[in-house]
Amino acid sequence: MLEANLHKQLRDFPLDLNLRVNPGEILVLMGENGAGKSTVLNSISGLLKPDNGSITLNKTPFFDSANAINLPVEDRHIGYVLQNIAAFPHLSVAENIAYGMKVQHIQKDLIIQRVNHWMELMDVQELAGVRAGNLSGGQKQRVALARALAIEPGLLMLDEPFTALDASSMDSVKHMVKDFVAERRIPCIVVTHRVEDAHDMGDRICILSQGTNIWEGKSRDLPAVGNGSVSKYAE
Amino acid sequence: MTRSFLEPNNLLRTLTVIGAAGLIILVTLYLALPVAALFFRTTPELFFSSLSDADVQSALRLSLITSVISLGIVILVGTPFAYIHCRNTYPGKMIVDTLIDLPLVLPPAVAGVALLVLYGRVGLIGRYLNIFGITLAFTTVAVIMAQIFVASPFYLRQAKSLFEQLDPAYEQTARTLGASAFRIFITITIPLTASGLVSGAVMTFGRALGEFGATIMFAGNLPGVTQTMPLAVYVGMEGNFNIGLTISILLVLISFAIMIAVRFLASREVQHA
Amino acid sequence: MDKSYRIFTTISIVCALLIIAAFFAGCTTSQPTTKPVTTPPATTAPVQSMTTTVVSTPAPTTVVPPTTTAVVVTSTPVPNYTPSEKTLIVYTAASLKGVSGKLGTEFSQAYPGHTAVFNLDGTQALKTQVENGAYADVFISASNSYTNTLKGEGYFMNSTVKPLTTNYVIVILPATNPGNIKTLADLAKPGVKIAMEDKTVPAGTATYAVLANLAKSTYNQDWNKSVFSNVVTYETSEPGVATKVSLGEVDAGFVYESTYTAAPKDTYSAITIPKADNYLQTYTIGVMQQTQNSGTAQEFEDFMLSSIGQQILKDYGFRPVS
Repeated sequence: MLEANLHKQLRDFPLDLNLRVNPGEILVLMGENGAGKSTVLNSISGLLKPDNGSITLNKTPFFDSANAINLPVEDRHIGYVLQNIAAFPHLSVAENIAYGMKVQHIQKDLIIQRVNHWMELMDVQELAGVRAGNLSGGQKQRVALARALAIEPGLLMLDEPFTALDASSMDSVKHMVKDFVAERRIPCIVVTHRVEDAHDMGDRICILSQGTNIWEGKSRDLPAVGNGSVSKYAE
Repeated sequence: MTRSFLEPNNLLRTLTVIGAAGLIILVTLYLALPVAALFFRTTPELFFSSLSDADVQSALRLSLITSVISLGIVILVGTPFAYIHCRNTYPGKMIVDTLIDLPLVLPPAVAGVALLVLYGRVGLIGRYLNIFGITLAFTTVAVIMAQIFVASPFYLRQAKSLFEQLDPAYEQTARTLGASAFRIFITITIPLTASGLVSGAVMTFGRALGEFGATIMFAGNLPGVTQTMPLAVYVGMEGNFNIGLTISILLVLISFAIMIAVRFLASREVQHA
Repeated sequence: MDKSYRIFTTISIVCALLIIAAFFAGCTTSQPTTKPVTTPPATTAPVQSMTTTVVSTPAPTTVVPPTTTAVVVTSTPVPNYTPSEKTLIVYTAASLKGVSGKLGTEFSQAYPGHTAVFNLDGTQALKTQVENGAYADVFISASNSYTNTLKGEGYFMNSTVKPLTTNYVIVILPATNPGNIKTLADLAKPGVKIAMEDKTVPAGTATYAVLANLAKSTYNQDWNKSVFSNVVTYETSEPGVATKVSLGEVDAGFVYESTYTAAPKDTYSAITIPKADNYLQTYTIGVMQQTQNSGTAQEFEDFMLSSIGQQILKDYGFRPVS
């Protein structure tokens, strides 16, 4: 379970958020540009340091300003796909997916096994040796996703993970993420601005505006598109 | 439908073509003619017979060895330095930033005087080194020091610019995947900036190879020890014209060879992509 | 593409080429002796003021304009002396660096309205510059053999070439004498650092001769060899050696007596070389064939040879022509 209690002064307003994601649960984070969504993910990942607060994953403290705890990014063992995807352009698809596992010094055979497994799941086996810089947007996104999942993280965070995907792969990727999260029983946060993604993925949805949580609830309770005040935060 | 030459549209285009052609030809000739003149001023027999001159060979050997060593040091020390400098803020960072550019605007002779006044045997630091029997001025080490001083900005600025412009998302992602700073540097940062770093290295090598003013001031002029090719050219031009010409031509050939080699490597890398 | 447009493009490129060619043809005409210019044209050698730095502007690869070697300039000199022009370009051996300031001032006082600008460099460098088209009105050479070469190549108005002054070689040491050099024999001690001019520099040729003489007369060839193995730098001008000694970076240097005499007290110590072994360098002065200011040039030469000029030289440690 992920528990995060974040306070960070952004340029125009303070980010002040309390959230909690249960194991196997997907929380969808929505909100207008600049609301602070990426800051939330960056803070949980450790790339940014909140001004104060605390972040805990399954009883492991990631961050605790009161006790001066700040676990380095490298040690948090999270899967995080950034908004600009960042598939390593100079490495092949296989090398990309293998990257995190090599860091953990996993045995070579096991790495090969897992890489093949994920390439199949993401339907990129034929591209195994292709440098990621030459892939299409959708292919890069799938590779980045596979790369994050292959390390079997304790927490998964995806920032706009479906924007580059074409319609045909969208469904299978979404299913795959949901299955992965449910099977491994890890918490997952997905940031998206598309309401249909929110409905498809989210067990719960949280809408962020100007740094605060203005609505939170089950996805079926999300006011339908076209309904005044809430819809404008789902662009 | 034919157009008259004097119609405004055609005239303007024509003038533009003349201007553009003229500009390209002018620049090309300005750069190429002096170099060509070197070749025309000597004969193949004179050139090849000069090559066997002991001073020519020692200048060639000394220049290549010192320039390669200087380049090596600049790359090995400068790359991590540039990376750490870019990725962190620290007190005085702006001053260091300016200092990196300083050798570029300093006349080489001034650099030479500065090095001499600092590291010479009565220099500020040199006098203490002298106590331990360490001499720097008038040695091959001085040649390398002078080369590093004047040529390092070329590499450092390039490296800095590359590291700053590299999309931080790559390194950030690598961090989330658990990679240490060192690992990220080696597996992500360097490969993604390699071709730019190479071009910076080429410029650095060229500058080190051609270094004269600081060398003659700090290292002196001694065949086999400190007489690099540029110094040999200068001395040769006044004593033995043919020797001077031969070394000049050698410098041109080496520079061309390096540039062509680098372009070839760069184009091959593009093909792999 | 319209055919007429293509023709027009071709013509424009040809025109551009012709313009460029004309531009370069104009640039490479070496001596403007036929053109009525009043000021000296831009030359390959930068005109340096009297306060020039010790090492003349170095060029790693000297750009040689595409002229043929040592062409005898055949255009006739202006028959009647032209009225004196403002500035005289005097190519001067570097060892006159210290005295050139005073000479310039006194010359302007004696000939109001005229200035002498000194291009100071090793005579070998100046010779190369002139041979490659540089403009000079007067040439002061520290080497008879270079003077004779230039005479033979036709760069001088030969009748104007006269001996100007002389200079002996001396060994200078930093005032603190870090190498503890007491005699010429000490120059061969291991670990001593010596600065000398390159053999193409007149002072260098003189030094080589002096050392050969000393080896023959007093010390031996081993001494000579040891001295040369103690040389840490062959400078490209005589003042370059003086600088290295004054900075204390070498233990001894071979320079002209005038450098030692004219230096402020306590800059150097010195060891004199016996006259019998020494080499008396003779400086010559001459007016250049190409000069546009032959009147002023002659005035300058007269001034240098006059009692005023000669006295100034003497004050700065130069010796009279015997």
